[in-house]
Amino acid sequence: MLFSKRQAVFALTLWGLLLPFIGQAQALAGRVVDAANATPLIGASILWLGTSQATSTDANGHFTLAPAPNGETAVLVSYIGYKSDTVQVQGRAHLVVQLKPVTSLQEVTITGRQDRYSALTPTNSQVITAQDLTKSACCNLAESFETNASVEVSTSDAVSGAKQIQMLGLDGAYTLMTTDNVPALRGLATPYRLNYLSGTYIDAIDIIKGTGSVLNGYESISGQVNVRLKDPEKSDRLYVNLYGNSLAKWDANVNTSFTLTPKLSTVLMLHTDQLSNRVDGNNDGFLDLPLGKHYNVFNKWKYNTGKQWVAEIGIQALRETRLSGQVGYRPGMPQREGSLYGIESETDRFSAFSKTSYTFKNRPYQSIGLILSGARHDFDSHYGPRTYDGYQNSGLANLIFQSAFGNTAHTYKTGLSYQYEDFQEDLAGQRLSRKERVPGAFFEYIYQNSKNLTLVGGVRADHHNLYGWVYTPRFNMKYDFNPNSILRLAAGKGFRVANPIAENVASLISNRAFYFQNNLQPEKAWNLGGSFTQYFEVGERKGAFITDYYYTTFQNQIVPDMYSSPYQVAFTNLNGESFSKSFQAELQYEISSMLDVKAAYKYFDVRTTYNGQLLQRPFIPNHRAFLNLGFATPFDKWRADLTTQWFGNRLVPVMEHAMDQHNAPIKTRTVHPYAVFNGQITRAFKRWEVYVGGENLLDYKQKNPIIAADRPFSQDFDASMVWAPVIGRVIYAGMRFTIK
Amino acid sequence: MKTLKIWMLSLILTGLASVSFAQGGKKVEEVKFKTSAVCGMCKATLEKGLAYEKGVNKATLDVNSKVLTVAFNSDKTSVEKLKKAVNDLGYDADASPATLRAYDRLDACCKKENGSH
Repeated sequence: MLFSKRQAVFALTLWGLLLPFIGQAQALAGRVVDAANATPLIGASILWLGTSQATSTDANGHFTLAPAPNGETAVLVSYIGYKSDTVQVQGRAHLVVQLKPVTSLQEVTITGRQDRYSALTPTNSQVITAQDLTKSACCNLAESFETNASVEVSTSDAVSGAKQIQMLGLDGAYTLMTTDNVPALRGLATPYRLNYLSGTYIDAIDIIKGTGSVLNGYESISGQVNVRLKDPEKSDRLYVNLYGNSLAKWDANVNTSFTLTPKLSTVLMLHTDQLSNRVDGNNDGFLDLPLGKHYNVFNKWKYNTGKQWVAEIGIQALRETRLSGQVGYRPGMPQREGSLYGIESETDRFSAFSKTSYTFKNRPYQSIGLILSGARHDFDSHYGPRTYDGYQNSGLANLIFQSAFGNTAHTYKTGLSYQYEDFQEDLAGQRLSRKERVPGAFFEYIYQNSKNLTLVGGVRADHHNLYGWVYTPRFNMKYDFNPNSILRLAAGKGFRVANPIAENVASLISNRAFYFQNNLQPEKAWNLGGSFTQYFEVGERKGAFITDYYYTTFQNQIVPDMYSSPYQVAFTNLNGESFSKSFQAELQYEISSMLDVKAAYKYFDVRTTYNGQLLQRPFIPNHRAFLNLGFATPFDKWRADLTTQWFGNRLVPVMEHAMDQHNAPIKTRTVHPYAVFNGQITRAFKRWEVYVGGENLLDYKQKNPIIAADRPFSQDFDASMVWAPVIGRVIYAGMRFTIK
Repeated sequence: MKTLKIWMLSLILTGLASVSFAQGGKKVEEVKFKTSAVCGMCKATLEKGLAYEKGVNKATLDVNSKVLTVAFNSDKTSVEKLKKAVNDLGYDADASPATLRAYDRLDACCKKENGSH
């Protein structure tokens, strides 16, 4: 016997171990295609996992890969705009790999334009496209939501012209606002923030309902609105938009972009809006909307090497002045009995951000990104006799590392953040100031099986210098029963430090005393919910049915109690329950090739404990309906849109009767339903577009929106009890000019 | 063989030449361009883009043959102008190459190096 039995077993075992490697030591050939329509992907990269041995597909999507150098058994297949995939070769000599388009929100990496179908994101997301933005009146963010059912825009009072968004029936302060996925316009900028971004700066808006990612901090509670600004690489050389309306308010916008080198491009965006015509349509002696001048500049740069590095920088500066109050008010008039009541404000804001990302060579799934942003917000104002001045300096650094565990079914994002805030507010001689320093760390794990399940689990821990450790867990799940039926679930926690005055500027336009409870605590809430989406086809026309339900419950909330007494607004910690239940059902359907319809019904039950009583949040109707008809002739030469919003019964506090007795139970009354109609018609030419439209076409107005409008210096004066439009019908016209 | 070549060439030339015919008193002509279009999205871009050109009655792209057929009013536009319009949308028209900037801005899927799909 040449070999002992033991040796033979050893040799066989060795052979058994080597077999897979020998089996592997052959060239691998195959094809890479789009999973949806089987079209070949050209230039997709195929790499033996863990090595630098790679190849790419030819014009027909075919590839041949040299044998694995160290007997690797898996390849990584990747293509820009698609999800990378790890494939076990399992001894095969020929592979057909199907790739799916990118699904997750890309927080840092910007790799060309990607298709974003809401059928793919793990969160309940919608996109308002640039095309949708042209359907509503020009030119600020508030108007951008007009043709969308999920976000409400409401006027906060009858004088200042401030508008707020609402999601899930909750105030806009609970919605995280980001521009290019960088938190923006937070804190003291809240009151007029929707004015600070012109519609012409925007490429698209992503609306995420419910809990989102932990990457952007702990603040979002009801959801996130992400504004995607124009991309310097893709912007038109020149874009001009002029707008004027029947109140003599006008807007001018100019965007221009340059490609300086093949790698470096920039877009410069200018906006101004002005109103100097005094309008008092309801004859209450007060201006219906403020006079104002607003200048706004945004400059964005992008450096794209086309390889590993991408960098973006954005700089914005704006100045806005407003004057409102009684029609005869002029700047500088004394604010006391016998004079005219006036509001003046001046805001200066400067902000900048940068995003840099590096994608590892031969590891397209692995990248590292750094986001830096800073802002200085400065305002001086007086609301009648009450002065309100302040500033906010903010700085944020966010470092994100993204990679995969083993294969790309298991990916993760992790990183560190540091947030700095310096606030100072002076309200009629009373000073509030605070400095926040918040270092934090986060980790998010994403599991995607190749078929139908996505799980996202994230957690962040932040150390707040004033409030200690803050833990924020968040969870999202998406399950596709089939490609047309999708279930999403979300649960998560949010935390924020309220800025009671800035978030309740409307109350400044009254003679209520501001009362702050000692020891106001941060707001904390849990948000749980989910949505179900069904895509369908009827008569070869596509449609979608989306329904969702979210429940938000506050562990603490800063409650602005304007209802216990007509003479004060008391800011207190929540003492009792506060919650919001929100249900929405929406149907989108293409009735014919020229007519699209969107219809939605919403139900809100929002309650808060005021002074020991659990009450419906005033001014929020239980039932709402939304209908949008979009008409377009072939090639969009003519477009027309009609949007109706119907608001059901709602409770409003009765202040007039409470004036006699202090601390009486809060009285409310029900105001009747009403509907608002907006419409627009656009005619497009090769470079020109001309549009005409109307807002509040039925001219529905709240009668006497200001309490004691004839006695603005008396204790009873209050302009914050507003639930319906103050401004009647507005007709507008404008034009757009584009050089691509 | 030579005759065949000549025959083929004349056939192609005939195919590409404008064919005049009267329609409702207007002078409507038809021209065909071989383009660099590769996909359904290119079809939408080209047909929409040409619909906005002065004098164009109808434009149809056959994705398989990449041939764009344009019916136009020769009083209002010319074959050269139409070629330029196609180039400015980012596509080659016969021998006339796409405008570089427009081509760069096409979506990845519409670029000609990706081949037909």
